[in-house]
Amino acid sequence: MRALLALLAALAAAPVFAKAPPEGAPPETDIVAALTQEVVEIRSNFDGAELVLYGAARGLREGDDITVVVRGPERDLRVMRKQRSFGIWINRAPVRFESVPGYYAVAATRPLSEFATFTALRRNEIGADHLRLSAPETERTETRFGVADVRVSDLGAEIVDYRDAIIRAKADEGLIAERAGGVELLDGGLFRAQVILPPTTPVGEYAADVYLFRDGVPIASRRTTLNVQKAGVERAIYDLAHNQPALYGLLAVIFAALAGWAAAEVFRRR
Amino acid sequence: MQIYLPIAEISVNIFLILGLGLAVGFLSGMFGVGGGFLLTPILIFVGIPPAVAVSTQANQIAASSASGALAHFRRRTLDVKMGLVLLAGGVFGSVAGVWLFSVLQARGQIDLVISLCYVLFLGVIGALMFIESVNAIRKRGRTEVRGEAGRGRRRKRRWIDALPLKTRFPVSGLYISIIPVVVIGFLVGALAALMGVGGGFVMVPAMIYILRMPTNVVIGTSLFQILFVTALTAFLQAAQNQTVDVILAALLIIGSVIGAQFGARVGARVRAEELRVALAAMVLAVAVKLAFDLTATPPDLYELMEAALAVRLA
Repeated sequence: MRALLALLAALAAAPVFAKAPPEGAPPETDIVAALTQEVVEIRSNFDGAELVLYGAARGLREGDDITVVVRGPERDLRVMRKQRSFGIWINRAPVRFESVPGYYAVAATRPLSEFATFTALRRNEIGADHLRLSAPETERTETRFGVADVRVSDLGAEIVDYRDAIIRAKADEGLIAERAGGVELLDGGLFRAQVILPPTTPVGEYAADVYLFRDGVPIASRRTTLNVQKAGVERAIYDLAHNQPALYGLLAVIFAALAGWAAAEVFRRR
Repeated sequence: MQIYLPIAEISVNIFLILGLGLAVGFLSGMFGVGGGFLLTPILIFVGIPPAVAVSTQANQIAASSASGALAHFRRRTLDVKMGLVLLAGGVFGSVAGVWLFSVLQARGQIDLVISLCYVLFLGVIGALMFIESVNAIRKRGRTEVRGEAGRGRRRKRRWIDALPLKTRFPVSGLYISIIPVVVIGFLVGALAALMGVGGGFVMVPAMIYILRMPTNVVIGTSLFQILFVTALTAFLQAAQNQTVDVILAALLIIGSVIGAQFGARVGARVRAEELRVALAAMVLAVAVKLAFDLTATPPDLYELMEAALAVRLA
């Protein structure tokens, strides 16, 4: 609610949107944005979350587009490919990917390729196809065609299959999502986008970036943050398990023994 | 109703997990087996990470075997001395199993090894049990005569009788070397840690056919050993790998405790041979399903894993 008030204040301070910028002065563009929740708590009934990112773009013109990118905390991933040997499928050929976002969602007013250039998307890592997934252990830099420091993968074209596998697996879980038309433009430069966090969404800091695209390139951007954290009993259990693993293990075993004893008592009476 | 599991880090249907505990508890009460060999694959299928499924399962089995072992202790059908010797081997087996589990997990091969162990053990034991119980049903009319003849025969000396360190086990009425006992305890402990099972389905045949313990003390003694080995396994998994989810364990324990009561009552009304055929068929079905999964072309040839585990153990 506080965020909404701040947004309204910003809107009030902004000049009237529909009015064209005065002659001669550079067209001013700016974005304000906020999320309906800045903290998402994972409690025992957590089954994913739906948030709304809303905001306003100052100086929005006909033909401009808005893109919202939400990135979750990064983690290293290991991807293995199954190969058949002696009739059974065995995990082989591990490739380690560093700093893979645990959550990555893009929403835009239109399909990305319709309003943005390839370079702009690649540079800002907008869209699942442009997400940078690096496997440093399989990469080396060399000079190719007279260009220095070209990064080359030892895996060659195979790296693309690994990349696709990551995106496919995460998309199945809703951890990578791309929705053209996910950003709704309202009157007066206001916009709204839904952010859907699946139940498996990782814990940590998220960043939501809003880009204003004009003529294929972003001309303004704004970042807001979101924190996903465990709370209540879930947090207490998780913290205990990780900070005092021996005590946690002991308690788990004592609980099991007590439950077994209680059951034996009930059995005896019948 | 969904509930979020803090360690497994996924949200599951509370009634699904309670129902699973109930169903497996029912079967374990009816057949006198732990049921871990059924529950672990199902939990993995539901989406619980294999490491969490195996470790939490150990915690749940500790609870169910505690109640079983107490009941047998009161009825004096538990050989405490034999149990303790088995346990001595089991402790080392459990430590070795948890260690092996971590190493295999770091190499990304844990799922394969778990599946292979299941196919191998369930396949062999299920097949043996099936053949034995079908034969028992076929020969039902004639068994009484043969049984008399068999009992009078003196036991042959086997290689086990030649081993040193012989001890008396008064409750079982045995005078045997402790070496095979410790070895069996070790192997079952290692299997239990690796497969997330109690190991009763390996322990019971080993006690009957290798140690030649009387059948009436076998179940109680096996439960006694399983209780301590699974308790230790759960503790080690929690302390070393942080993979025991107490919420999941509590749900499974509640379901299985209630299910076991109903199962035991139904089981008492069915003839032992039929019960064994049904159990053997079930064990074989799980083995066949897992064997099929190992050989069938997987839907996705690529598998994603957390890289953090690999770093810690590298």
